[in-house]
Formats: sequence, structure tokens, C-alpha cells
Amino acid sequence: MSAAPEKFGQRVRRREDAALLTGKGVYLADLIRPGMAAMRVIRSTHAHARIERIDFGAILHDPDCLGVLCAADLPEDIGKLPAMDLLENSAPAHQRVLAQGTVRYAGEPVAIVLASDAYTAEDLAERVIIDYEPLPAVMDVQAGSRAGAPLLYPEFGSNIVHQTAQRVGDPGGAFAAAHVVIEETFSFRRLMASPLEPRGAVAMLEPDSGRYLLHSSTQIPQVLRTELARITGVSLERLRVVAPRVGGGFGCKEAVYPEEVLLLLALRKFGRAVYWIEDRAESFSATVHGREESMRVRAALDSRGIVTAVEVDCLADIGAAYSLFSNTPGAAVAMLRGPYRIPHFSSRARSVVTNKTPLNVYRGAGYPQVTLAMERIMDLAAAAAGLDRAEIRHRNLLQPHEFPADRGVSYPGCGQVVYDSGNYPAVLDSTLEAIGYGGFAARRAQSTGDHALGLGMSFVVEMTAGCGSEPARLRLLPNGRLQLSSGITAIGQGSETTLAQILSDHLGVPADIIDVLAGDTDDSPDAPGTFASRGATMGGNAACQAGSAFVFEARKLAAELRGTRLEHIDWEGGVLIERAGRNEPLSLTSLLAAAEARNLAPTERLNVTARFEDTPVSFANACHAAVVSIDRGTGVIRVLDYAVTHDCGRIANPLLVDGQIMGGVLQGLGGCLFEALEYGETGKPLSQTYMDYVLPTAATAPRFILRHIETPSPLNPLGMKGAGEAGCSGAAAAIVNAIADALGPKIRVPGGSGPFTPALIRDLLRNAAALEDDSAC
Amino acid sequence: MIEATRSVSTPLDVSTTVDVSMTVDVSMTVDGAPLRARVPARYLLSDLLREQAGAGGVHVACGQGICGACTVAVDGTAVRACLMLAVQADGTRVQTVASLSELEGETPARRDDLTPLQKAFREHHALQCGFCTPGLLVSTALFLSQHRAAREGAGARPGRAEILDHLNGHLCRCTGYANIIAAIESVLT
Repeated sequence: MSAAPEKFGQRVRRREDAALLTGKGVYLADLIRPGMAAMRVIRSTHAHARIERIDFGAILHDPDCLGVLCAADLPEDIGKLPAMDLLENSAPAHQRVLAQGTVRYAGEPVAIVLASDAYTAEDLAERVIIDYEPLPAVMDVQAGSRAGAPLLYPEFGSNIVHQTAQRVGDPGGAFAAAHVVIEETFSFRRLMASPLEPRGAVAMLEPDSGRYLLHSSTQIPQVLRTELARITGVSLERLRVVAPRVGGGFGCKEAVYPEEVLLLLALRKFGRAVYWIEDRAESFSATVHGREESMRVRAALDSRGIVTAVEVDCLADIGAAYSLFSNTPGAAVAMLRGPYRIPHFSSRARSVVTNKTPLNVYRGAGYPQVTLAMERIMDLAAAAAGLDRAEIRHRNLLQPHEFPADRGVSYPGCGQVVYDSGNYPAVLDSTLEAIGYGGFAARRAQSTGDHALGLGMSFVVEMTAGCGSEPARLRLLPNGRLQLSSGITAIGQGSETTLAQILSDHLGVPADIIDVLAGDTDDSPDAPGTFASRGATMGGNAACQAGSAFVFEARKLAAELRGTRLEHIDWEGGVLIERAGRNEPLSLTSLLAAAEARNLAPTERLNVTARFEDTPVSFANACHAAVVSIDRGTGVIRVLDYAVTHDCGRIANPLLVDGQIMGGVLQGLGGCLFEALEYGETGKPLSQTYMDYVLPTAATAPRFILRHIETPSPLNPLGMKGAGEAGCSGAAAAIVNAIADALGPKIRVPGGSGPFTPALIRDLLRNAAALEDDSAC
Repeated sequence: MIEATRSVSTPLDVSTTVDVSMTVDVSMTVDGAPLRARVPARYLLSDLLREQAGAGGVHVACGQGICGACTVAVDGTAVRACLMLAVQADGTRVQTVASLSELEGETPARRDDLTPLQKAFREHHALQCGFCTPGLLVSTALFLSQHRAAREGAGARPGRAEILDHLNGHLCRCTGYANIIAAIESVLT
């Protein structure tokens, strides 16, 4: 027992860890009980086809088969999955719970089979005959957006389901007056969040109440409950959704999935508890993808190295339908300029449907792409202007006195973009110093001939927090402990530790008398959930607000007990003190006992709820720099050193923020060195295992140098900004810039995320050598 | 003509090729407790441990033998429980993360105390979602004890390269690995 309160800013070790380290964490799979039925989803084996026939055949009479469902079994009005990013001019490309007539991606659910265990369900599923009439598939976003392309939704008349454009200033004039125009095309590959815990859910009837209870490995239990009620017609009162401990999310558990609906429908129809956990091969096409888009960017540069204008044309491949959050090109149309002033700007984005798994946000949600594009442009501009790469950035950065900085654009669905605070020059200088930018030329000169060293940098500015008002409830339990109910679902980010720490500091009470609950819609029925780097900021401010309301109620109760006025009772570190009074101070436990004795119902009165009202999003920023070494013989790239200076406002727990940054950087690293979801020509997914879709391993982790600058956000009392994504959003940009630097000006690296595999690097080196031979002839 | 291009997913009647109903009796110890069960011949060790031995610390993340999250010790050797059939573990001694103190060769002062490796992971924030953690702890404990045995008296400790080589058998999607490496190095000093 530590008596002292935890302080905001301390590197507090996590309260979650003891259970997780001993294997006692309760994840979704730990909720499966004997007697529950296993659901197997039968998925389309075609990218695009008409379903001619579904024949359950003999399994309908097999005693092992506990139930089947296909689209024909669903009520007419059940079926459309929700999409939050359908903007006013979006074509409503909704996915169906089960494919109706047409399948639009390999992996799309077509039918389900229930059995007493997963082995038997899989056997039964293999005996179901589905007769497909293949249709031409759209696998390429360029081809799919052209006139005459096969259409996924003939009723829309086009595969382009959304277009948007914005303009600031006079980009045409700026380009006309430009000293140099830089142009580059970027291609971002299709990636997956792929947390180690697969998706899964269990639907059952709650024993006492008879309500429907769905446990799901989700980041958004409250949104899921609302949407499930809407889709299935089950009333909200009869539906409870709980997220147990979630083994990683990164955005892919931030959707409403067909399987969650199907489990509820199966429970209702067949009257038995039923579970589903995706297997890994299934996951690669059943769980949302991320990132895929292409961008053409032009930049106008004046003679002093000032970027006067940029324009971007973005084509996003959203897959076969909108997922819950598919509007990742929002970053391209609103946020491409990042930390740079760039007075003139124009952007256009089109979202195109293709015969692939639906795209959703994945850690960074569009920022990794815009950061890579903008930062490559800055390096190309530096080369064109004959300027140092750090110098050209300094000349274009917004300065501290320019905040709040209204960028003159709006983020589709999220409102006007106004950067709240920041000190970008200091963040850049800090990172340059951390990575040893000044001494890098000497370091490079010392490296051996077989290895090329390169240094790259990037600067990311991203929207964090906001996204809806945040609830918190604080109550005194009969055992004298404080219980905080938060809407921030725990997905590995350490929110229980952080929220308890913030509340401990706010109330001046030891953190170990505070329990934190999250993830249960009975405790927090209405909350946005865990995404958009909003947890610590929104949950922390809400906890403090509940804390203040609690203190008020506690003082009121103490005043009543002491027969004095509220103003005469002070709260000091969990103790109620009568000012100038002779009575003994009341601890929470003595307050509880005294109030109980007088039938004042203390646990009812000391049970307060608060709502931290939605604020405008705050803009966190970070400067990354990477040193890479490329083996000229094998083409293998190693990231040696990695520096990040991060500014997410005031930091509650730097230990956990550092963890978020390092983890994010490695995901970004994987996305440009190893990962890409591959498809065969006919649209068959080729990535089925972690041998095909290669994730970063420990040997790929760089030496990290992490720094923080804390520029408080004026938008919330704690001065915080989000920290969950900036590590991921800047990494590919810094690494690709470092690769280009290592390869030198004669080799043109392809624009985009690669992946920069050894084979690609060897090709680039070979082609450069061949060119040199040619010119020598 | 349409018939010719039409694709029909061929039903594969598993029951005609493999007798899935075949069962076998297995017995083993799991974290010190005897386990006897009659299981289908194709039943995976990971499922047996989770469903019949209550070993919730065996996490199945990929089920393909790649990520290492389900790693357990079978007769003192690190095994991916998702790749071994229950029947292959017949007659063995299986240890999961619940036996970590034994695997580390430590006798905890109190039953609920964390082991030195667990403490190091907590101290260095070497876990976030925790899904990869138990398997990683089991194989790291085996790795460290094997090193201790092999180098008894020599005084040499595994270096960074050997630790990375060991860690390459495990995927972690949250931490970026640096804190895991730091945690392991800290128990060596």
C-alpha cells in the first residue's frame, strides 16, 4: 500500500500487468464455456460473383449441425452494416450482414453453420455447396475508377462512391509564379492492423435478466450496442455489450462486423449461446484492411525555398463497401500540409470501391500517407533548391506565435481544422540533435563500402482527442474504495493505470483505493469508445470532472453530518476537514460509517456522473528521424537509430506514452519494409499467414531516442493531447526518406510505402548500375 | 457455356477420408496437476490445455506456429501448443506461464509474487495488450535457463545477438520490442 497519491507526470508502473504477466487476463476466448455452440462463417471464395445456389444439403440432417443461416433466412430489413463516414454526397455502399445475391470480396460472409465445437463446425461448413457465377473483379483502383470498368454497385453508375475537394488561397497563381515545381506520385499498399488477439465474440442470454449479452473483442462496445439494436430490432434495454480485455486493436476492432450481428441473430433463432473466434487465415480477409490509396502531389517552390503551394489528388481504395470509419482520404484533403505554413492549397480525393475487404481506419488513419507524401516532397524540394533538409523545413514551419492556426480547410465529418498549440521549430531541433544530424556526414564517411548509411526525417501533425463527449462515473463503494467507470475501453494502452493516476492526482488520494471499470455498457451506456488517440485526454478530463463533482457531494454530506455549512468543509487528500471546527476530520471510511449510521445513504449520494463535453480536436505533433543502413549486396535494410520528439501537450504517464511511440514506430516500420496484402490476378487474397504477411520482429527494432516537449493544449483543463498514433504516423516517412538518402540522388526511390524489401532494393541498385554502364559506353 | 465457367465449391466430405470420430486417451501433467482425457485424435494441445486444463495463459494468436504466443514447455522444451496434437503430448510434463517460477528456477517467497522475469517486464513496460506475453515469458525462461546450464562456470551471459535470435520466435504487435529486450537484459545483470 502506497499512501501517497500518484502524480500527473510520473512514470507509474501499470496496474494491469500483474494479471497479464501471470496469464490471468480475461480475454474473449476465456469466456467460452462448455455447451456453447461454435459458429463457422462460410465465406466467398471469389472476389466478385453472383451466388447461384446455396445448398446446405446433407448437413441439415446431420445431428452435429445445430443451425445454419444464409441471407434468405434473414428478415428483409436486417442486413445493412453501419458506416459513420457516409458524407452527404457519398453513395451508400453498405456491406450486408450476409451476402445477398452478389459477393463483392473474397472472404465476405455468405452463410453460417453452428456446431458443438469449432472442429465440427469447420467440417460441416466444408460440406456446404455454394454455386458461384464469377463476375469481372475490380482489383485496381485506377482501372476501377475509369469509365467502362465493371461496377460493384450498378445502381450507383460508378465505382467512385465519394468525391471531395478543398481550396485555400490561390494555388493556381502560386504555381504560375513558382521557381520550381516538384511532382511525385505515391502509392500506399494495403496493410492490416493485425493485433495478436484475433477478433471474436460470444452471444448469450444473461442468466438472471434474460437480456441479450454480447461479449466482443471490440474498441467500441457502446457504439456496437447501439448499432446492433438498430440492425436487429432488439431494444437497447434488452441488450448489453461488454468488451473484455482486448488483445490489441489499432483501429481494426473499431467497426461493427457481420459476425457480431450473426451471433446475436443465431442466439435469437436457435436459442443457445454461441461463439466465434476468427482463425488467422480467415482474419486476413474477414477483418478490415487499412491504408491503400494513391496520391499525386505537386508543390510550388519559390526562390527562397518557401513552399508556396501544394496540390494533391488522392484516390482511395476503400474495398467492397464502407466500413464504420473508411474516410481515410480525409487526411489528404485536409491535412497534407502538416506543420508547414504553405499558404495556397488545393486537394481532391475520390473514394473507389474495389473487390477487396472493406477498408477502415488503422492506427494513424490517413496520417502515415500524408506525412510520407509531404515529407518526401520536402526532401525533393530541398534537393531542387540546393538547401539543407533541416533548413528547408525550418523555413516553412509554422512558428509558435501563429497558434491557434486556422488552416482554412475542414476535415470531412470533423469540422474546421484549427491547430490549437505547438512549438514546431523546437520539436524539429530536438530531434535533429537527438539523431546526431550535425555529425551525420562524418558518421556516413566512416561507414564501410558494403553498407550505405542514410538519415531521414519527418514531421507529423495529427488530430487527436475530441470525437464526442466522454462520460465518467465515480462512486464510493461500501468497502470504502472509489470506483471509476470510464467509457475508455482497455485495449492494451494502459488506460486503467493512466485514469487512476490522473484521478489520484486530482483528488489527492492514493491510486490504490481507486478501481477502474471500462468496456461494459451497463456501466457506461453512452460513450464513443477507444480510438483517434482520445482515451487519456477525454477519459482523463472526464474522470477529473467526476472527481470534482464527487468532492462536492462528499463535502455536502460531511457538512450535513457535522451540522455546518458546505463552505466550512474542505477536501484535503480524501479527508474532509471542518474549517475552524473542533471535530475530528472525516476520512472516506469514517464518512461512510457515520452517514450509514444516520441512514443518509452515502453510497447512493456519493455516486456521481459527469460528462466531459466534446471539445474541438487538438493537434499533437512529432518530429521523427531515422538512420538506416542498407546492405548493398543483399538489399537488406536495417533501421539503426530512431529519434522522436513528441509533443502531445501535458503527459500524464511518460512511461506509457513512450511505449505508445515505440510500438507505433515499429508498426510504421513494418508497413514500409515488410508488409503488404497481396492479391492474385483474379482477386484471390494471397496473404494468409504471418509467413506471407511479415510483421516486424525484435531484430528489426532500432535503438530509440525519445524526447518530449510539452506545449499544453488550451482545449481541455488538463492541457493534454492524444499520444496513440504519432509514432505510427511519422515512421514510414522518416524511414523512406532515410532509404532515399542512403541510396543517393542517382537512384529514384518509388513514391509511396514500398514495401522496401531486399528484392526491391537490389532491383533499384541493379538498375542504377546498368544505367551507369550505359552512360559509360 | 455458362456452365463451363461456373465455379462450384467442391464439398469435401472429411468423414470419408479421415475418421474424425477417432478418440485417444491421453495423460500428462499440466502445471504439476495430473490430466487424463479422452480426446479426438486431431485435437490440438492448445485446445486441450485451454479447454480441459483451465490453462487460460495459453493464448492462441495465429494458430499457425509463427507468432509464439501459445508457447509452453513440454518436458522442458519450448513447444508451440497450436502445432502439437494433444496425443503427441501424451505422457509428458507440460508447463505454462503458471509454472514460470519453476521454469526460472526460482522459489517465490509467496505464492502470488511475480518472478524476476515478470517483475522485469512490469518494471520496463515490456507488455501492453499482454496477449503475446505469457508465451514469451515461458520461452524466455527456458532460453535463460538453457544458457545458464550451458555456460555454467564460464560466467558468460547471452549477448544482444542471442537475445534477438531468441526473440525472433515471437511476435509482439504493441511494444516495438525495445522494452522487452531491456527487460530481458535487466535480469541478466
